[in-house]
Amino acid sequence: MSADSLFTNETIDLDRLPKYEEILLKQPHPDYWKIICINLTIFFGILAIITGTLLLLADDVKRQAIWIISSYFVLLAASFLLFRLSFKKRGYALRKHDMLYKSGIIAESTTIVPLNRIQHIELNEGLFSRMYNLGSLQLFTAGGQTGHIRIGGIAIDEAKSIRDLLLKKLDMLENPETEA
Amino acid sequence: MDNDFSKPQRESAFGIVVMGAHTALQIAKGTFFIFIAAFIQMPITTFTYLLLGIAAILLISIFFSYLWYLNFTFFLNKEKQEFVVNKGILNKDQLIIQLDKIQQVNINQNILQKIIGVYGLKIDTAGAHGEEVSIRAIDETSAYNLKEHLLHRTNAAVVTPEIKHQNHLTEEAPFLKISTWTLFKVGLTSNYGQSLGLLIAFFYTVIYEGRQLLDAFKINKDEIQSTVAGMLTIISVFILIACLLLVLLVINLVRTFYKYYELEITRHKNTLLLSSGLIAKKNTLISPNKVQITKYSQNYFQKKMNMLNLSLKQAHFGQSKKGHEMQGNTLEIPGCNPTERDELLKMILGEAPLFGKTFIPDWRFLNLPIFFKLILPVAIFLIVAFNVAEVKPYMGIAIGYFLIGILMIYISYRRHRISVNQDFIIKKSGIWDISNEIVMPNKIQAITTFQYPWHKGVDVGHLSLHTAAGQIHFKYGNYTEIKKLVNYWLYQIEQKNEDWM
Repeated sequence: MSADSLFTNETIDLDRLPKYEEILLKQPHPDYWKIICINLTIFFGILAIITGTLLLLADDVKRQAIWIISSYFVLLAASFLLFRLSFKKRGYALRKHDMLYKSGIIAESTTIVPLNRIQHIELNEGLFSRMYNLGSLQLFTAGGQTGHIRIGGIAIDEAKSIRDLLLKKLDMLENPETEA
Repeated sequence: MDNDFSKPQRESAFGIVVMGAHTALQIAKGTFFIFIAAFIQMPITTFTYLLLGIAAILLISIFFSYLWYLNFTFFLNKEKQEFVVNKGILNKDQLIIQLDKIQQVNINQNILQKIIGVYGLKIDTAGAHGEEVSIRAIDETSAYNLKEHLLHRTNAAVVTPEIKHQNHLTEEAPFLKISTWTLFKVGLTSNYGQSLGLLIAFFYTVIYEGRQLLDAFKINKDEIQSTVAGMLTIISVFILIACLLLVLLVINLVRTFYKYYELEITRHKNTLLLSSGLIAKKNTLISPNKVQITKYSQNYFQKKMNMLNLSLKQAHFGQSKKGHEMQGNTLEIPGCNPTERDELLKMILGEAPLFGKTFIPDWRFLNLPIFFKLILPVAIFLIVAFNVAEVKPYMGIAIGYFLIGILMIYISYRRHRISVNQDFIIKKSGIWDISNEIVMPNKIQAITTFQYPWHKGVDVGHLSLHTAAGQIHFKYGNYTEIKKLVNYWLYQIEQKNEDWM
């Protein structure tokens, strides 16, 4: 029973293991894009007010007005574009033993949290989210800030059912005798 | 005092003294420079007031400590397997710790505690807020007794005979002992970075506080500045640097001796007892299965001397803990030799880890660091140099920097490896200090893989394993292989449902 032979044994299995990269991911709710737009608009609105007052009040800034205004619009366009692209990339999936979340503005990253490592679950409903009946689900692990996933823009009913399902699973993991 | 801690009890009455001294010291630390400033500028008559002030502070601290002592009780709830602490002077707090959440128990003794003959006991938990209990004064037998109670919660019925047995074991010879000579070598070869940080912090405080003092005394700053500038000839700068390096080494040695003097590791039934310290002796008890990442590192000198530093990282919960507390969750064992390392690894991991299939990064690993750390700064420097006459003579430095930089980045690329077998993941990295971090797959909390869009064609991607004691990264690997590994680890984690602590 050397470790080598054991490992090669596993390598054969490796190809038969379920592949996380081939799972069909569920996209966030289309209405979530509206919420992102509202948030971006608010952010750029505040930015516009600040730069506007600066432009009107400070003479030094006034001379650079063209640069500031054009970079403002470049930033605006770029953020909308990037958020749109990243919105298209987002996706989540719940498997029997883990939860996947794919996201990323430039890089495409996939985080997988095994269900038996979840510490607690949070379901948040923001002000705008509530208007569109959406919610965001957060799964926390002991991995700290980096090892947790936050899935925004799930229809609230679906989010609630996922939450209940996860809670049920966690309960089952804590008391394994009921699992069988 | 051979009780089983089932009834609420106070700490030793000496705790008043320890606590009082602690409070007084805190106040003194905060007001030290104010006192000095006041002391020098003050007319003699007010001197009495100063003395009165000090006396008042002492009195208040002792009174405060007395109240604290009255209100601080602790006991062990056997049925619920909990350790309960009541404390607080004005607002009463009750702290309940589940025994299986306890990560380590520290038994310490600082100078004052040594004089009085009591011990301090600290409990580290993995709680989400990193709260910890500290009992400031407890006599030796009680301390060790309580520790055994806290860490051996499984068989409450047979506790008493087992404790006796355990206590005998404590007397037994340690299986690892770091000698003074080894410690000397450790002090010479490691932890330069930390000592440097300490030195800088020290100089910063001195200069900052010194300035405030100068302001307070209205001493002419220009005079001092011109004297200092006059002293700074090139030769004296070299002497100064040499002195600083020497000071650094000495600080390093002193620090190492202070922390690790007479380091001993004793094996108990399920736990390891680490004890070390020159003035304040520190005893730490940990259970091996709570160690999340085991790491050993070695640099060139240490390799020649055939020794390495081992560190055991336990779970910490990020932001809520302050920096120094987070370090407390890493136990360092400096200066073991390879045999001792293997022995320790066997104890912590169950068996000596074997290197399995090794994965190496793609050459694109080199691109970003070379661009951002070498090409960009050198380019900026050259542009400045061609335009500013004063900088021109120093252009040779840029070449040196570039060459050394290339070499270092290349070394870090060659060292960046991850090795995987059935039971272990070993990540190797480093430039000067080459470290091996060992994780067992069941300690993984979550896995992230990511890829830049321009690497899609060449099949290169990155991997992060999140554990409760930090992350492990593997960059620029073959993405297909990474995905395979991830699937394999997920299978391992989800199949067995093993405990991670």
